[in-house]
Amino acid sequence: MSLKIRTKFGSIKIERRLTYPRHISILTTVLAILLSFAAVAVILTLMGINAFEAFAVMARAFIVPRLLFESVKQSIPICLSALGIAIAFKMNFWNIGAEGQIYMGMIAATGVVLLHVYYGAFNEYLLLPLMTISSFLLGGVWCLITSFLKSKLNVNEILTTLMLNYVAILIVDYLIHGPWRDPKGYGFPLSIAFPNYAKFIFVLDSPAYTGLLISILAAAAVFFVMKYTKIGFEINVVGHSLNVAKYAGINVSRVIMLGSFLSGGLAGIGGLSIVSGIIGRLRPRASPGYGYTAIIVAALAGLNPWLIVVASLFFGGLLTAGESLQASMNVPKAATQMIQAIIFLFILMGEFFKRYQIIFERGGNGS
Amino acid sequence: MMEWIESVLHTTVQMGTVYLLASLGEIYAERSGILNLGLEGIMIMGAALSFIFTIAYGYFAAILMSIIVGVLMSLILAVMAVHMRLNQVVTGLALTMLGLGLSGFIAFPEIRKRILLALNPALPQEALMTQEAPKLPEISLPVLSNIPLIGESFFSHNVLVYFSYIAAPIMWYILFKTRFGLSLRSVGEDPATADSLGVNVYLVRYSATMVSGGFAGLAGAYLFIGFHPFWQEGLTAGKGFIALALVILSTWNPLRAILGAYLFGGVETIQFRLQLFGFGAQSPYFLAMLPYLITILTLIMISFENVRKRIGVPASLGIPYSREQD
Repeated sequence: MSLKIRTKFGSIKIERRLTYPRHISILTTVLAILLSFAAVAVILTLMGINAFEAFAVMARAFIVPRLLFESVKQSIPICLSALGIAIAFKMNFWNIGAEGQIYMGMIAATGVVLLHVYYGAFNEYLLLPLMTISSFLLGGVWCLITSFLKSKLNVNEILTTLMLNYVAILIVDYLIHGPWRDPKGYGFPLSIAFPNYAKFIFVLDSPAYTGLLISILAAAAVFFVMKYTKIGFEINVVGHSLNVAKYAGINVSRVIMLGSFLSGGLAGIGGLSIVSGIIGRLRPRASPGYGYTAIIVAALAGLNPWLIVVASLFFGGLLTAGESLQASMNVPKAATQMIQAIIFLFILMGEFFKRYQIIFERGGNGS
Repeated sequence: MMEWIESVLHTTVQMGTVYLLASLGEIYAERSGILNLGLEGIMIMGAALSFIFTIAYGYFAAILMSIIVGVLMSLILAVMAVHMRLNQVVTGLALTMLGLGLSGFIAFPEIRKRILLALNPALPQEALMTQEAPKLPEISLPVLSNIPLIGESFFSHNVLVYFSYIAAPIMWYILFKTRFGLSLRSVGEDPATADSLGVNVYLVRYSATMVSGGFAGLAGAYLFIGFHPFWQEGLTAGKGFIALALVILSTWNPLRAILGAYLFGGVETIQFRLQLFGFGAQSPYFLAMLPYLITILTLIMISFENVRKRIGVPASLGIPYSREQD
């Protein structure tokens, strides 16, 4: 059945597509981005701001080397969390808790560093691997709580992941105002600065290069897992149809728990990349919402790991562009937040056009 | 001691009203099967617009505009979730992000100045630059406000608080005692059956979503001009999500939402009081976690089938409806 609207000049039919053609998804994505920039240009012009000048300032985030490095740095936590979100969304597990999982990752990484600095635990060379493992584990466990509740008790994961975001942020607040505060920090809510060997700067001494390498490796890993392993196959089946998965003898709750663990773990490493790549210490509200931006990135990239790397570079650039916009033109950086949100809305609407086609038929009174 | 309790209760009601207003509308949306995750974004837009319009034209315009913007934003959600049948979770999040970005944009000093001048060219210079707006006046109700303890705490507030006292029972009555309420609940329970009985599923879902938007916008206006009229970017700070949590805690019942709202409001008040006393420097963070943890516990409780049945959790929450089979 299809919806049909008859008019005097012909009829408009909305029909479900049987296949999702590739050129349509590319077209809708490009259109979404163009339309959102157009929408923001209109808003800026209405406010008496020269939109072209503003876009020129923003473009520098992708051209000027210093700013480009910043953009790449910003893209890393976004990319890692978006990869995790992609795994979860693939199995229709609506994990919107990447933000909280990022914070748990930061806690784990900082905890390891503090154990090392305060109590002399662990060898210097063991530090980075241990930080990576522990942030993956803690981020993963934070997500696992929700998938456990989902698969054992059928508790809605959307709300639990969302609620746990705030709990994680508050745990960081507590730690950093309390036991983890730098004793020599003049009472500022900051942890001690990480020693250099606890930072992700092993490629060319640059957090941007190192981070980019990690992003690409993570994307490759996700691509491999989803395409060539049993669990990846099972995740795809569960996402495609729960009934098929059950008939095929797949242990659905095991798949959801394992998949969500991977999902949260990746976001946890995203948290590690913040404390140990971008900031170099733990502070409250260290993530300006990377975990939420990552949801847009995953949607924009159509859950494809390689495209996620590209899309997160674009969004990292937008964050940097926002800063320069505010600094050099006195245009609020919220303008880039608007661009993000409008892109998101248009992409979602694009989903509709991917799924349905609108057919215009000419003819007298509609046939 | 008496005065201390009075002032704690007074602040509790003030805080709780933010959550109560926002969740009253959200209860309608969710009862009709639409999860409006845009609450946070709508609230902050309501706050930003009430800020600008209070300065430009006064309270009435501010409250009106915040409701209008709430309805319009939720209309976007309704179109996308009802007609386009898109995922409500991500659509709502997109709306929240839009609200956070747009509010930060229009309330930014330079931009706000231009908007204010366009709205009312006669405004004096200091009105263009201020981060503050005048607060809604508190009105002590005659007779009622003289009742010891309760009077001061519950009956000397601004008009939006009194509105919430009246709105909650009315919303309860409409939802559970009228034909419209019955259609609304049936749409959220089983849209196909409701449709076959002649209920216009789309119309009900549209109106319920717009009610939720209007109330969320109003909650934003209250948060700003009625509670703390000092603009900060991102001033809702997750209050919209707490309201969402409250809807669950109240098990989709407007009357229980009153209790829940004051519970959350009370927790927040005590948290600030403890900070003032320097009482256990760490405790505020754990107290602040309570609303979220209580919500998760509630979610676990209502996951049991017999509890769900007794409470009447909307069974089709978050599921798009269309007559065609897909």
